[in-house]
Amino acid sequence: MIASLPEALGLIFTFEGLLVLSLGTMLGIILGALPGIGSTVAVAMILPFTLSMSQAPAILLLLAIHAGSVYGGSISAILINTPGTPQSAATCLDGYPMAQRGEAGKALGWATVASVIGGLASAVVLIFAAPQLAAFALNFGPIETFALILLGLTCIVSVSEGSLIKGLMAGFMGLFLSTVGGDPITGEARFTFGHFQLIAGFDLLAVVIGVFALSEVLTRAAASPEDIKPLVAFNGIVLPKLSEWKGRVKGLVKSVLIGNGIGVLPGTGAATAAFIAYAEARRSAPTRANFGKGEPDGLIASESANNAVTGGALVPTMALGIPGDAITAVMLATLTLHGVTPGIRLMSDNPVLMAAIFAGFFVINLMLLPLGMVVSRMAAPILRIKEAYMLVMISLLCTVGVFFVRGNPFDLLVMAVAGIIGFILRRQGYPMAPLVIGMVLGPTLEISLRQGLIITDGSFSAFFVGHPIAGVLAVIAVGMLALPVIRVIKDRQVSA
Amino acid sequence: MKSIVKTTAAVAALVLGAGGAVAQDFPVRPINMIVPFNAGGGTDLLLRAFAPHFAEAVGGDAFVSNMAGGSGTVAAAALAGQKPDGYQMGYWSVTVATVQPQIKDIPYGLDSWTPICSVAASPTVLFTQADSPFKTVDDVVAAVKANPGKYIYGSSGPGAITHLTTVAAFSGLGVIDQMKHLPFQGSGPAMQAMAAGTIQFFGDTELLMTRGDFRPLVVFNNERLSSMPDVPTAAEVGIAAPLNELYLWGGLFAPAGLEPAVTQKLSAACEMAINSDGFQKFAADTSTVLNYRNAADFDPFYRAQYAANSALIDAAGL
Repeated sequence: MIASLPEALGLIFTFEGLLVLSLGTMLGIILGALPGIGSTVAVAMILPFTLSMSQAPAILLLLAIHAGSVYGGSISAILINTPGTPQSAATCLDGYPMAQRGEAGKALGWATVASVIGGLASAVVLIFAAPQLAAFALNFGPIETFALILLGLTCIVSVSEGSLIKGLMAGFMGLFLSTVGGDPITGEARFTFGHFQLIAGFDLLAVVIGVFALSEVLTRAAASPEDIKPLVAFNGIVLPKLSEWKGRVKGLVKSVLIGNGIGVLPGTGAATAAFIAYAEARRSAPTRANFGKGEPDGLIASESANNAVTGGALVPTMALGIPGDAITAVMLATLTLHGVTPGIRLMSDNPVLMAAIFAGFFVINLMLLPLGMVVSRMAAPILRIKEAYMLVMISLLCTVGVFFVRGNPFDLLVMAVAGIIGFILRRQGYPMAPLVIGMVLGPTLEISLRQGLIITDGSFSAFFVGHPIAGVLAVIAVGMLALPVIRVIKDRQVSA
Repeated sequence: MKSIVKTTAAVAALVLGAGGAVAQDFPVRPINMIVPFNAGGGTDLLLRAFAPHFAEAVGGDAFVSNMAGGSGTVAAAALAGQKPDGYQMGYWSVTVATVQPQIKDIPYGLDSWTPICSVAASPTVLFTQADSPFKTVDDVVAAVKANPGKYIYGSSGPGAITHLTTVAAFSGLGVIDQMKHLPFQGSGPAMQAMAAGTIQFFGDTELLMTRGDFRPLVVFNNERLSSMPDVPTAAEVGIAAPLNELYLWGGLFAPAGLEPAVTQKLSAACEMAINSDGFQKFAADTSTVLNYRNAADFDPFYRAQYAANSALIDAAGL
């Protein structure tokens, strides 16, 4: 790997290589920032253009689009409270309140630096430890995955703004929504009530865009003229000063590790990582009392973690030739089209190409900083458009984006209904983040639980015997749940 | 208002007229080729490579659209109700066309289609980890019988070709009741579980098998594969018909009731596209095993597959 680096750098630092990397990253940021166009769609859209390229630039272009889109989602999350992609849903929680306070430039500054650091760190891990990490990931069977997702679900408690009960209800709603459609074990259709369209379940993106973006549009449209909060003022990114990092570095490191670790595991992804990192930061950060009100630490956690996943997800893809998610599957397919056989011998058979990919990934993340500043600068005038036009534009983009994912008109209906229900629920004080967490984690929770039960012949207690990793994760999960209760009791004792 | 109605009627008449045009004029509009999965997947890439050559062969335009969801059934159900005019075709795999309608309550079935042509077909292979103690099928049967309930076979999902392969193997060998089935969401996670030792057996095409460190045990083909001459066929190890042959095939389908002359034209264009240099190069680069059947041959093949897979579905308990 290291030995092939000089030759690999020769592939990247050519006119074509650098052009592909910078244009790809920029395009990725723009696509990610457009609500509804998630990373998978962005990568699939660009795939046909890579066919006429040679091997290394083709893969680098897709990687640039991917990394750019994960970061780009944060721009719309912060500026218009609309996550461009599900993985930046956690970014809304603190990013938008900051922007409302008039610190949009600063919020984007934190998000950008956190994204760059998360991405760079995952690139370093990828270059030096991909085979070892891939081997470690094999320790995560269904039972360990179940315990991890259980831990992830405890985030619901920490992102439940205002009322814990309402947060839990929204979370369970999300979990329930994820069970509609084909049963992952028996293949039967569930909860379709005779409607064939429901056989494929609810599309995550359609629901996320509905409950976040469309309900935001409705909320603004329904507000009486005097209540309307102006769109946030934004004149470009303001990078955080070095002194402002005091006390935040520990949280950053932790979030990067969480992102990397979760990225390596099968069946999870950037959205999961962002929420888990956010919940962990909210549990342990010294500033935890300010979370949800526009605390940079919350932004740092979710943005560094979701960008760290982009590198982590490449670990099983490149080291074992096994795609970790839909995006890495597209990348492997691209390799195949260029005559490279994906598989367990991918790294040993193509050392230079792999080194070029890993080094290129590092360069992409370096480029995120200047390019992110350029693109968000371009977004600034858009925010000065009259609000009514802006709302129409957002609705239009959401519609196009959601339709593009599966090409199914039914998804538009799902988005519209989710938007209306989200609007009503938000008015009643139900937080929407738990609903998204439930929907993101639900499918993995179910399949890992049922796979585990098949392995243990239906004995749930056998889950934690002989599975030390699962046991530790479960203990942490219980601790996360107990923590708020303990705090309440302590507070009472103090006041009593 | 009246003029709008008139215009609408005139436009409608034009459109209907174009739809019913005689086969000589076909095609006068672009042909929509539907991929029942997301953009960027294997089927999507295949059809996108195929479409330009097909368009050239048929003497018109063709474009690829994606409609994903429900293991391909959402797109198939949407096309099944459409007018059979030859301007809309789907690329269905063996599971979309012959398995899903038999295990799920979905609005299409055996008689919903005019089969146009088959494009690709690969026999499936049952395999295990390269370092596993099982060298032959006999080893497997002996081990399973000695330890009922201990061994696990994986699949990429219930009803997928990977599931049918393992069911054909273990049902054909008479040990399926002494084993457990663990479905995953896709072949990737399943193969990772195999590397981790969670599952011991998996079945897929030869192409997928060569990507990992796996040992083939039996091949579901009518003869041994030249690429692995030492691996016995299912019939050789005592797996009886109809479980002894299993192929991951895919082909073009139009809604039922397509005019025979149009079917002929599409089927001939399909052959030319498959034999084109560009598509042959794509197939060689991606190790796709091409297998052309014209409309006349593909129809009975599809119907026979539908019947044969119903036996497999019973064995799988789906």
